[in-house]
Amino acid sequence: MKIAVIGKGGVGKTSVSAVLARSLGRLGKPVVALDCDTNPNLGLSLGVGEEESQRILTMRQQVDEGDVEHALGWDDLLDRFGTDAPDGVRLGIVNRIENPEPSCPCCGLSPERLLSQANFGNAIVIGDFEAGLGSYSRVGNEKLDVTIVVIEPTPRSIDVGLRALDHARSHHQGRILVVANKVRNSKEAEMISTAIGDTSITVVPFSEAVASADRKGTSVFEEANADDFIAPIRQLAKSLN
Amino acid sequence: MNDAAQRPLRVAFVGKGGSGKSTIAALFARILAQQGSRVVALDSDPMPGLAYALGIYVDDAPLPDELVVAGPATGPEWILRPDVDPLSLIERYSVKTQEGVHYFQFGNTRGTWGALSRGQHAWSEVVKRLPESAWNLVGDLPGGLRQPMNGWGKYAEVALIVTEPTTKGVMTARQLAKLTNAKWGPRKIAVVVNKIRPTDDANAIAAQIRLPLAGSVPECDAIQRAELELRSPLGLPGTEAVETAVRALVRTAQGL
Repeated sequence: MKIAVIGKGGVGKTSVSAVLARSLGRLGKPVVALDCDTNPNLGLSLGVGEEESQRILTMRQQVDEGDVEHALGWDDLLDRFGTDAPDGVRLGIVNRIENPEPSCPCCGLSPERLLSQANFGNAIVIGDFEAGLGSYSRVGNEKLDVTIVVIEPTPRSIDVGLRALDHARSHHQGRILVVANKVRNSKEAEMISTAIGDTSITVVPFSEAVASADRKGTSVFEEANADDFIAPIRQLAKSLN
Repeated sequence: MNDAAQRPLRVAFVGKGGSGKSTIAALFARILAQQGSRVVALDSDPMPGLAYALGIYVDDAPLPDELVVAGPATGPEWILRPDVDPLSLIERYSVKTQEGVHYFQFGNTRGTWGALSRGQHAWSEVVKRLPESAWNLVGDLPGGLRQPMNGWGKYAEVALIVTEPTTKGVMTARQLAKLTNAKWGPRKIAVVVNKIRPTDDANAIAAQIRLPLAGSVPECDAIQRAELELRSPLGLPGTEAVETAVRALVRTAQGL
């Protein structure tokens, strides 16, 4: 199963992806958390720590510099550029823009190609995408089983979310779900649900636990009082089965 | 107040998505305009926010396609028609705010995803040909690394990396700090720590990024509410501390 998590920058795609991945892992599923952002930081939210996140990135850089033989298979990729995160989740980082260059940064391997072409077997793959729609819009038609659009209750985030929903529908990217994140009251929840019509919605309240974890660079699972944030995403994970 | 003798500034705001680049860029541009300077505010985010932050409520300020013709075989692909004066285009096609900030947008994707329209190439040509002595440029780039690392902010002599006091923000900023390595990179790069709380230490954040601290901006409920209502935060009650912080940032950037 291939899942893409998309939305405007700063809405919480990475925090949602990490909790979704670990919740699925706790349900006993084989889970691959795929960091598809050229500025990857999914490792922090999964709880592998800054040092380990940095270490995987450095390995990736060695490939780009030709020190390691280039490997394109997804299992090779995960072996070489992946690391084990808590709850049995395997984290892989697709690519990172390492240096300023007015050229294509992808080194032949892009999230959109990987998700379009690779067969991940029985694993549940969660792709945490770059902000906006650039990379997601290049995934081939009908290549995804689920698209999760994360929206926070601001008009600009809703605007991006609606464009994302349009794109997902017209390119047949599987089940389309909305996560309304950082919701402080029923008025904000309604603002989002009104905008998205009858699309399935999971409402996740604003969480100081996420803000606290972000400041420390750790997983929200290590925070006290994080259940308001985790519980609705755990429900979403169950519904994906 | 009027400081016309001040050398014009070309600055690009970069940073992680959601860090507050558009808000700070809008305040920054308005403060320059209030000083009596001519200011172009450039939005290259395909999901633009700078217009809203400036209180313009259009997210698209295009140039007509016919102003652009095919470039020479050696590139670039498109150039501005040679008989066109770039300054006249700014006057005619930018959207002007009450304070005199000239806004335009050149990253918007209409219809075809990914590709830039000819009109958007035209705006980038205008930027290249804008006389440096007369105009301040305040650019707002999309969040993340893609546009900045691909040279979209080449027009800037100063890059200001906006970050929240979070580890993800710091990691993003460290990558953006590599813009210094580019031949075409900015002359100066510095950090702006945004949304700080009394318990946060902006100096420590800048030290982690290994760049100088250009300014720090407090977290602000009034700005968050403005965002909810799609209103410009400029001049709203409750934003005084933020405005003071950005005023200090303008002075620092002018001295860089």
